[in-house]
Amino acid sequence: MALSEFIQSLDELESQAVAAFAAASDADSLEEVRIHFLGAKNGQLKSVQQQMTTIDKDDRKSAGLRLNEAKANIQASFDQALASLGQGRRKSGPALDPTLPGVPIRLGHIHPVTQTIEHLKEIMGRMGFEVVEGPEVEDPWHNFVALNIPEDHPARDPLDNFYLSTARKSGGGKTYAEGERLLRSQTSTVQIRVMERSKPPVRVISLGRVYRPDAADATHYPMFHQMEGLLIDRGVTMANLKTVLSMFATSYLGEEVKVRFRPSFFPFTEPSVEVDYWWNGSWIEFGGAGMVDPAVLSAVGYDPEEVTGFAFGLGVERLCMRRHGVTDIRDLFSGDMRFLSQF
Amino acid sequence: MLVSWNWLKRYVDLSMPEPEVSQRLAMSGLNHEGTETIEGEVVVDLEVTSNRGDCLGHIGVAREIAVLYNLTLRKPEASPAEGNTPVEKSVRVTNVFTDACPRYTARVIRGCKVGPSPKWLVDSLRSIGIGTVNNIVDITNFVLMECGQPLHAFDLAKLSGREVVIRPARPGEQIEAIDHKSYTLDPEMCVIADRDRAVAVAGVMGGFESEVSSSTTDLLIESAVFTPLSVRRTARKLKLHSPSSFRFERRVDPEGVDWASRRCCELILEIAGGTLEQGVIDTAPDVSPREPVTLRLNQVPRLLGLDIEDREVRRILTALGCEELSADVDKIQVCPPSWRHDLTREVDLIEEVARIHGYDKIPDDSPIPVAASQKRPFDEAVEKIRQVLVGAGISEAMTPSVVPGDLDSMVSPWTDREALTTETAMLKGARTLRRSILPSLLESRHANQAASGTDAELFEIAHIYVPSSKTDDLPEECYCVAAVTGRDFFETKGIVETLIRRLGVAKRIDVRIAKVHGLDASSSVEVLLDGKVVGYLGALCSQVQKQMKLDRPTVCFELALEAIIATATLVPQFQSVSPFPTVSRDLNLIVDEAIQWGDLATSVRAAVGDFLADMKYLETYRDPNKDGAGKKRILMSIDLQSSDSTLTNAQADEIRGQVVDRCNRDHGAVLLG
Repeated sequence: MALSEFIQSLDELESQAVAAFAAASDADSLEEVRIHFLGAKNGQLKSVQQQMTTIDKDDRKSAGLRLNEAKANIQASFDQALASLGQGRRKSGPALDPTLPGVPIRLGHIHPVTQTIEHLKEIMGRMGFEVVEGPEVEDPWHNFVALNIPEDHPARDPLDNFYLSTARKSGGGKTYAEGERLLRSQTSTVQIRVMERSKPPVRVISLGRVYRPDAADATHYPMFHQMEGLLIDRGVTMANLKTVLSMFATSYLGEEVKVRFRPSFFPFTEPSVEVDYWWNGSWIEFGGAGMVDPAVLSAVGYDPEEVTGFAFGLGVERLCMRRHGVTDIRDLFSGDMRFLSQF
Repeated sequence: MLVSWNWLKRYVDLSMPEPEVSQRLAMSGLNHEGTETIEGEVVVDLEVTSNRGDCLGHIGVAREIAVLYNLTLRKPEASPAEGNTPVEKSVRVTNVFTDACPRYTARVIRGCKVGPSPKWLVDSLRSIGIGTVNNIVDITNFVLMECGQPLHAFDLAKLSGREVVIRPARPGEQIEAIDHKSYTLDPEMCVIADRDRAVAVAGVMGGFESEVSSSTTDLLIESAVFTPLSVRRTARKLKLHSPSSFRFERRVDPEGVDWASRRCCELILEIAGGTLEQGVIDTAPDVSPREPVTLRLNQVPRLLGLDIEDREVRRILTALGCEELSADVDKIQVCPPSWRHDLTREVDLIEEVARIHGYDKIPDDSPIPVAASQKRPFDEAVEKIRQVLVGAGISEAMTPSVVPGDLDSMVSPWTDREALTTETAMLKGARTLRRSILPSLLESRHANQAASGTDAELFEIAHIYVPSSKTDDLPEECYCVAAVTGRDFFETKGIVETLIRRLGVAKRIDVRIAKVHGLDASSSVEVLLDGKVVGYLGALCSQVQKQMKLDRPTVCFELALEAIIATATLVPQFQSVSPFPTVSRDLNLIVDEAIQWGDLATSVRAAVGDFLADMKYLETYRDPNKDGAGKKRILMSIDLQSSDSTLTNAQADEIRGQVVDRCNRDHGAVLLG
């Protein structure tokens, strides 16, 4: 047999085999095709191979090379067909609908107030403020006296606080007419505790639950979270306060934000201001702030002639609600999965 | 505080538009709540902070405007014509309760004609929401709203003994007030009395019997100072809050008392006629002068971070009514006006200067120096806990810390001590400081079931309040993580174990069957870390499940965070990985029913020692036919590994043998087969 004849039949066989393997649509037909071409006994390749003996000795080498090449190609196309069938493996069933939903991962949700708190901590942390916490059940000293709220101040009214029904103090010690224990009405109490135990400079935020007897409605709840910042050092000014608060707002809201101070009154700061942010075309009430009252500095043993400081406080829920478009504060405390699962 | 724009014009020229003035007032301390036009009268609602009692009258607001716009304040003279009869002949005033009433003044007008008020007076009062009664009462209200000093007019003829006594109420003393309701008083309350009985509750409300009526001709005009605390407590006890008590609580002007009395009498003479008796009865005519306050000018920029010219500082203080006593290059000394109780210190003056000068001028480009700040280990740990629980498919809830008592008593793992309660209820009768978070979460679980049929799995991280053993101490506030799940005991236990391990806690976690109030006795346990109780885990007992109307069984846990975090390694430390393969051996041990996995595990650990890479519980089954009654088979697998060589099969078999021997010795375990 001439070499060219042999090569031609090899070429034909190869292209037939590749096409047949590619066309095999299931395991059975593939096996059929395999036996036809690659079968050990009567396969087509085998019979072509047998023709090798009829080729001139001088051409045998070239023929052998081409034979091996064809063999490899046929084998490869069989392997490929086998692999692609193996992937599906349900050749006889209906076609895959890849648009069916994936199997969901069952994950819980982090409460939006927690997310807000983490966000606030992170921003304030970058400005060097560390987080501190303190008890929620307080004594009148920390909740009022040290904060410069005198006994005749309306803020101490039982109607505006959650005093505990505890037994009156027996024997000595200072007694308070309105009650010896109460749920704190602000987290400033923690600042007092921090100042009592550490010397200036102080740069902290206190975060936590506070309690005020407001009737619950869309914007009020008798329990909420406050974040209060405190910076005490030499030479701290109200300009520093304004700068820190506008940096804070710009970080939190994600764009350049203007800050406005309006005069207000808090016993523990002097001057005291309400802080507003100009955002989306209107002034938004943000919280209260001011320079720490010298009486407060003295109460914790600091010298107001040496150090000054600023403090600010804001309601976490209000920030959270604004950020996430929540319109009723009661939803935050409902524990309702239809609400929680959105965050 | 409602302010009539026309009324203000009596005291200051208002050529500026109202919105501009309201805006400037808002920016200088009187928050603008809104402006309304009522029957042609422009009425501005201003919020007055509790330190600014002086602005609870039109003159006070006018003064603020005058300072802001550098205008002149016109305050009426208030000089009524007096008759010849000395007032002391008509009435005697005795003050035996100076703690509650530091100053009491009385004037007497005879022969006035009680009748309807003139239109201007009716209109003025109506614009700020006060209805007309008669000319005398209307005038007292007008002066109240003019200067903020409450006044009271008594019908002199109704005061028995021609006597006024300021005294503590007698125990159980009754008074019928002008609202026609009867009130029972106590000796902590201050009353105005005649010879026989209380005729007014001091600073709070007048009495019905002595009120001015159409037949009244002779009047006693009271203008006094009652102390804030006394008025506040009385008003609160009686639940009687009035414009008068509101102003006394915020302090009135001790010097303005007499002006208000004269102003009131002047208007009565003008409108209702009559004769004012000569003089005034005044229990404390000498008002002690205010202490001078020194302002060091360098303190202004020290606090504000802003320079304000000395001249401006002095102008502001003077315009606000401070009397400048001396002015040096570096400091000025002023005497604050009697109506400004809030100005006693240097810093108070600085605030006045700042708010009038304008907070908009405070710069916002004054950064603070950098400072290092560290995240608290507690926060890091809690973050990890949230990750685990959220990863386990449990969602975070936040529920009120104060709950109804019957809810709190549903499940209480930590204490039997009675919960603390608040005097005032927080929400729908909730007054109990919760001793566990679990009842709140169970309630939320039920609410979800009822609202949407959801099998809510919830967790919360919050304080619980464990009452202290001594009544004087603050309660122990303990941070806990609590969760309620619809999974079985072991799935939930797996969450607890994962949560603790994720914190890098290497110590042994054990459980011990424990009686936990509210949980099922047979399947509730204490969770122990190195022998110390750090929490509770278990299925809700069927009774509580029923009480809480929960359709599905619920397994819950509550862990005390601080105790766990104390043992945590929050920065994981790398342990070198042994390059040598592990060899596994299965063990199928027959033991008595009473033997627990934990017992076997302890023995296995002891028997294997350092080679133990892992130990897995596989299953328990029972075959009483082969093993006899009261026996069970526990199948486990142990992974053995050495850090310095490959364990041979022979070594592994030897260790396995030691394990079997040890379990046999400790627990009578027999290897199957």
